[in-house]
Amino acid sequence: MRRLVLVLLGILAAAYCLFPFYWTVVTALKPPERVFSLPLTYFPWPLSLENFYQVWMKRPFGRYVLNSLLAAGGGTLLCLFLGSLAAFRLRYLPVEKALAFQRWLLAGAILPPTLLVIPIFMAARALGLVNHLLGVALSYALLNFPFAVWMLYAAFSRVPRELDEAALLDGLSRLGLLFRIILPLSRTGLAVCAVLTFIFCWNEFLIALTLLPDQSHYTVPVGIAMLSGASAYEIPWGEINAAVALTTLPVILLTALFQRWILEGLTAGAVKG
Amino acid sequence: MKKILLVGFCFLIGFWYKVSLGYAKRTILRMVGPEDVNGAWAEIIRRFEARNPQIHIQYLSGPWSTDDRENMYIRSFLSGDPFEIVYMDVTWTAKFAARGWLLPLDRWFGPEKTRVFFPGALKAGYYRGHLYRLPVTTDVGVLYWRRDLLPRPPRTWAELEDLCRHYAHPPGLYCLVFQGMQYEGLTCNFLEFLWGAGGRILDSSGKPALDSPAALWTLNFMQHLIKDRFSPRAVLSFQEEHSLEFFLQGRALFLRNWPYAWKIINRKGSPLRGRVGLAPLPARKGHLSAGTLGGWGLGIARGTKDPEAARAFIEFATSAEAQKILHLRRGWLPARRDLFRDPDLLRHSPYLRELAPLLEKARPRPVHPAYPRLSDTLQKHVSAVLAGVENPPKALRALSRTLTFIVEEPETGLLKRLARDYELRRTLKNTLFFGLVSVGLEFVLGLFLALLLYAPFPGRTWVRLSVLIPWALPTAVMAMSWQWMLNNPFGVINDLLVRAGILAHPVDWLASPRGAMWSAILADVWKTTPFVVLILLAGLYSVPRELRESMAVDGAGPVKRFLYLDLPLLLPFIRVALIFRLLQAFGIFDLIWVLTRGGPADGTRTLCLYIYDLAFRYDDLGYALFLTALFFLALIGLSFLIVRLTTLGYERRR
Repeated sequence: MRRLVLVLLGILAAAYCLFPFYWTVVTALKPPERVFSLPLTYFPWPLSLENFYQVWMKRPFGRYVLNSLLAAGGGTLLCLFLGSLAAFRLRYLPVEKALAFQRWLLAGAILPPTLLVIPIFMAARALGLVNHLLGVALSYALLNFPFAVWMLYAAFSRVPRELDEAALLDGLSRLGLLFRIILPLSRTGLAVCAVLTFIFCWNEFLIALTLLPDQSHYTVPVGIAMLSGASAYEIPWGEINAAVALTTLPVILLTALFQRWILEGLTAGAVKG
Repeated sequence: MKKILLVGFCFLIGFWYKVSLGYAKRTILRMVGPEDVNGAWAEIIRRFEARNPQIHIQYLSGPWSTDDRENMYIRSFLSGDPFEIVYMDVTWTAKFAARGWLLPLDRWFGPEKTRVFFPGALKAGYYRGHLYRLPVTTDVGVLYWRRDLLPRPPRTWAELEDLCRHYAHPPGLYCLVFQGMQYEGLTCNFLEFLWGAGGRILDSSGKPALDSPAALWTLNFMQHLIKDRFSPRAVLSFQEEHSLEFFLQGRALFLRNWPYAWKIINRKGSPLRGRVGLAPLPARKGHLSAGTLGGWGLGIARGTKDPEAARAFIEFATSAEAQKILHLRRGWLPARRDLFRDPDLLRHSPYLRELAPLLEKARPRPVHPAYPRLSDTLQKHVSAVLAGVENPPKALRALSRTLTFIVEEPETGLLKRLARDYELRRTLKNTLFFGLVSVGLEFVLGLFLALLLYAPFPGRTWVRLSVLIPWALPTAVMAMSWQWMLNNPFGVINDLLVRAGILAHPVDWLASPRGAMWSAILADVWKTTPFVVLILLAGLYSVPRELRESMAVDGAGPVKRFLYLDLPLLLPFIRVALIFRLLQAFGIFDLIWVLTRGGPADGTRTLCLYIYDLAFRYDDLGYALFLTALFFLALIGLSFLIVRLTTLGYERRR
């Protein structure tokens, strides 16, 4: 009996969490002329890919995806690179000092990015990086840096210290030690960190909106937010929903694949913080 | 290994440069406009490039919303790499010119060249005696009336009311529809009512002049139109197209709109073809009416590498040839007077003859560098009056106060501004409400879900995954989804509530300040509860099982166990989640920007939206940074406070 109640509650919770996404997909799969028809159908039939085709062919959605991939991918790589260097350095500090340092870093990471957008914009302008994907990628790397350091530090500390000493004795340089021993040994942690950073960058909106005024540089979230105003006569909801479905699908797949590690990665932090 | 990484990295950077620069290198001059329907601009650019093969014009089609395109231009000016050709609305000129973002055009376009334009349209391109913008198209607010139902067009508002009492019968047939949504169009509509009553916004010395009987009459009259069902309540969500659609369905006797509507009303297959007349807007008895002057023009951005090329394009795009193309393909009115006598055009559009005198009389909106803020403020209060949430005298008092503040602002110091910043107080109130309510709800729901997921039951992994998903999805993108779900009448939320019998009929959630706020809270709770769940779940797992079991053996029930064992041990986790969530909620931007843009009537504008507007819309970086710094300090203080409050006595002594 107790079990039955729990299962029912679980189903209810899952439905609540998944419904917006379900509704998006359902709307996107309706034939365009059925999107605006009453009464609403919850299990539409026949399905149609027309909305997806429209958003892909008529609008520069492919371009947005490419931009997003470049900005988020570049930001993630950069962030991992810098983060692993920093985490590697922290490995050689006494534990209390390393943790204190990370706590300060985290204090920075907990601030809402809205506070940082004006300084970031000014810095990017000074560097001539406005309207350039590199500027966005750099900001992403910067914004996710504390988080990456903190996850990688935890991952690195699972590698025994004795290995360091042995490798150094065998003549490896410090960087060699990092790239050949420590990183390969903590690849799970690295992968989780990469996935999370990538999701954060892929989802980011404000920085991309501010630093990239030119439409040909829009990332996916900005492109979708601007779609509502793309036509004078009506808001193309079918296409918007198709675009939303296309954007969220990879995130959902990544989350599903890495579920266990994401939970661990995130909650490990909570224990320490 | 190292080398491969390095090469890969360089390759990636190189690839990036190529892709991201590829666009810019092909072209010299860029301009931003709305979607180029019927290829009018493409045709102009094709002809221009055929004659000037060394110049390439790149037409970037931006969002349809004028505000969004203006913001695109502003960000591009601020970035130091501006779009070279500035395709601007009449109202942008003063602000752009005052900031020094535009090149003066006087040296190329003297009086002998500019005489051909309508004086009002040309005047709107001047700022402090210099010409910055040449008009391409013009526009003027006009009244459409049902020639088939009414004997004559009204000259005064009183006549219009009389006609309507006789001929209109709401809700089947309303009297007048206009544009009442909170956007620039509302300013235009308000100004026409105001001018028709002999009022104005700024007096000749540039001081606000809204504390006048004319202004009071205007607001009262507009409210009366809606309250007494001369206009449908739906005008509150109308932009041009919505009002035209309503009129085309034969549901209103009069329509206030721009001349572009004439073509649509009279095209083949239109139900009202040949049954509609065009007239000047009515005025109050004893006053002269005037339509708001609209229209688009071209300027050159300062910092353009080849201003000569830009000049050549502007000269061509403002020529009779180009304006003819724009009229024939898009129906836009030429800014050149000579074209209104052009036999070709008159044969194609005979109504131009009636429009010419209206255009000569059209009045521009106030030319002021802070115009966007003036207009935003105006819209906010007028829409609040129309919605019935503010009464006209109160709205006027608030308006005068804010307008004075905006106009005098440049001379006051930061602290003084802070003390008088009424908008800040309002946004602060919204921010606090939003943050506290949504974080509170998240914790209740989050704790519940965490406890649920802690208990073992079949399929728990799947439920856990689905709870994780809202957290992982992009906020801005899902905000679009929520906007769709909240749509009236096609939104699923309305449908579900109606089916469940909770609502009698669909509700326009995003059209009222309170509805919009609760919608934003709903979306935020959905999106961020998973985060709270994750943290609390980790906390629950950290509680030693043995302790719980030994408590159970000692006879403590589940409630007692939760209160005396789990809750104290959960505290550090609650602290982390609380700090993190409160800071994020107070700093909310994406969700609200996409969902409501802070509207309606500023009901959902939070602090960060205000700061963002200050920085990137009103170009007031100094004050924006000042507010950011204050906000920053406040958040730090808040975090310390939370840590203090959630640390138990025995922990503190450590």
